[in-house]
Amino acid sequence: MAILLMKKINKLINNVKRTMFTSSLDTFISLFITSILFVCTVKLSKWFFLKANWTVVEENIPLFLFGVFPADQRWRPSLWLIILISLVVLTLFTPSWSFFRKLLPFAWIAVIPIGIALLAGGIGLSPVASRYWGGLTLTIFLMMSSLFLAFPFGIILAFGRQSKLQLIKYFCSIYIETLRAIPLISILFFGQLLIPLFLPVEIEINRVLRSIIAFTLFVSAYIAEDIRGGLQAIPKSQIEAAKSLGFNTFQITRFILLPQVLQIALPALTNQAVGLLQNTSLMSILGLVELLGISRSLLANPKFIGQYMEVYVWLAAIYWFICTIMALVAQNIERKTTLVKLI
Amino acid sequence: MINPIVSANELVKTYSKGLIALNNISMVVNKKEVLVVMGPSGSGKSTLIRTFNGLESFDSGELEVVGITIGTDPEDRKVREIRKRVGMVFQQFNLFPHLSILENITLAPIQVQRKNRIEAEDHAMELLSQMGIEKQAKKYPIQLSGGEQQRVAIARSLAVNPELLLFDEPTSALDPERVNEVLDAMRKLAQDGMTMVVVTHEVSFAKEVADRVVFMDSGKIIETSSPNVFFNNAKEERSRKFLNQIIK
Repeated sequence: MAILLMKKINKLINNVKRTMFTSSLDTFISLFITSILFVCTVKLSKWFFLKANWTVVEENIPLFLFGVFPADQRWRPSLWLIILISLVVLTLFTPSWSFFRKLLPFAWIAVIPIGIALLAGGIGLSPVASRYWGGLTLTIFLMMSSLFLAFPFGIILAFGRQSKLQLIKYFCSIYIETLRAIPLISILFFGQLLIPLFLPVEIEINRVLRSIIAFTLFVSAYIAEDIRGGLQAIPKSQIEAAKSLGFNTFQITRFILLPQVLQIALPALTNQAVGLLQNTSLMSILGLVELLGISRSLLANPKFIGQYMEVYVWLAAIYWFICTIMALVAQNIERKTTLVKLI
Repeated sequence: MINPIVSANELVKTYSKGLIALNNISMVVNKKEVLVVMGPSGSGKSTLIRTFNGLESFDSGELEVVGITIGTDPEDRKVREIRKRVGMVFQQFNLFPHLSILENITLAPIQVQRKNRIEAEDHAMELLSQMGIEKQAKKYPIQLSGGEQQRVAIARSLAVNPELLLFDEPTSALDPERVNEVLDAMRKLAQDGMTMVVVTHEVSFAKEVADRVVFMDSGKIIETSSPNVFFNNAKEERSRKFLNQIIK
């Protein structure tokens, strides 16, 4: 037993020697980095365990999760978050052969109207105006509904850009290039300030919807480019083969191009989703109390004044956690849909 | 007199750089005939058979395929009608990599011909066993050898019950030891009375299976002969030169 342990330690030491201390330069770099890491870790854990005052987080968990949603109705956003979490778990752990798996995409689509129904109320539930939505719930809602709308829109734009009809082609190209040339923040301003000006007075679109529209307009241009990248990876000869079997353009798109394009573009699309999640925090400066917004108003409370570090570290942890889950789900989808590597 | 399946009348096609791909081509393909098209590369033979199912357009002339006449600017509907009744096999197989072998074959019957799935799958399995690869039905194209992939491609084009099959250098992308399995499948088809137009360099196949050989050079048909005449006693000087180069 002891000999075995000795052997293992020996092996480890050898390994370290080989990978970190082969030359004097290597030794210097290794020591330098290790000492920096050591100092950082010590300082951070000192702050984390001794100096930081976590009451600001502990006391306000409901605010972080639901914003200023009426307290007696909090079960509604909670229920929605629970549905989402169960969907994530189901997606990650159902085997690819299961019949249930075929229903998952529909469940993911259905989760958005369910979210609207639960948050807004109306049918049997007391209505809650969108200005009371907030916190993590609103962040996730913004991300998911923008993605849900931007996805088909982006696909249409990408195929429109390849269209033989010049008018459609130029419209899509100009749209994509323009939207990619404008910073997101100005599109969001446009959504909040200008969309109401263009609409007749009697039509009032609420802030949440306006920001979803703005995000959709923005992200769909990027999604279109990702899809186009996938389209270019498919050899023209495959399209010729499909044509010579008598398929029309729609059938070629539906059965030959889209399934391959989505598989090729999935990593890029995941990137867009993660980016979108983080970009929703921009709405905090445009009057939505999503995760960052609610934290900012918390910090304005005299009781918690000066506790920036705790709140922002906590926020970073939440964003990191959600991004990780998204990455996991994407990896899982990639693994289970990739029957064969296309390229 | 039975109408020919393909009749081309003075087809001309010029590429933008002034290269003439088809120079006044007139020819017919008769029912149940195996027509082999030979010629040096760049002679326009691929372009010619690709006009037969509308993958290439032409600048002037007229073309009738399976009873449908198309001109220089054909309607989509007519071209698709031709494609539904004419199969094509490519040099690079062009199977759909995201679909299994069975799905590759049944997609067109189900989506284009609106056959029901079970019927289409039965027919596909029949075709696969005819090609000697019924065991590969559940696999994906990438898991198959080139020869097997090409036989799947043949089965796929047969699945829509075409009246005419076009082959564009079907064995040129294959390893030498895989060529015969594809040629054997094609021989069988010829015996069964399938009308075929084959662009190929396979002399033995042409000798044995072809009813007529068309020799093309620089966009023109130089000679149309029976294989016996073409390979032993070609009428034209240029044909003989070409044959000398490919038969050592």
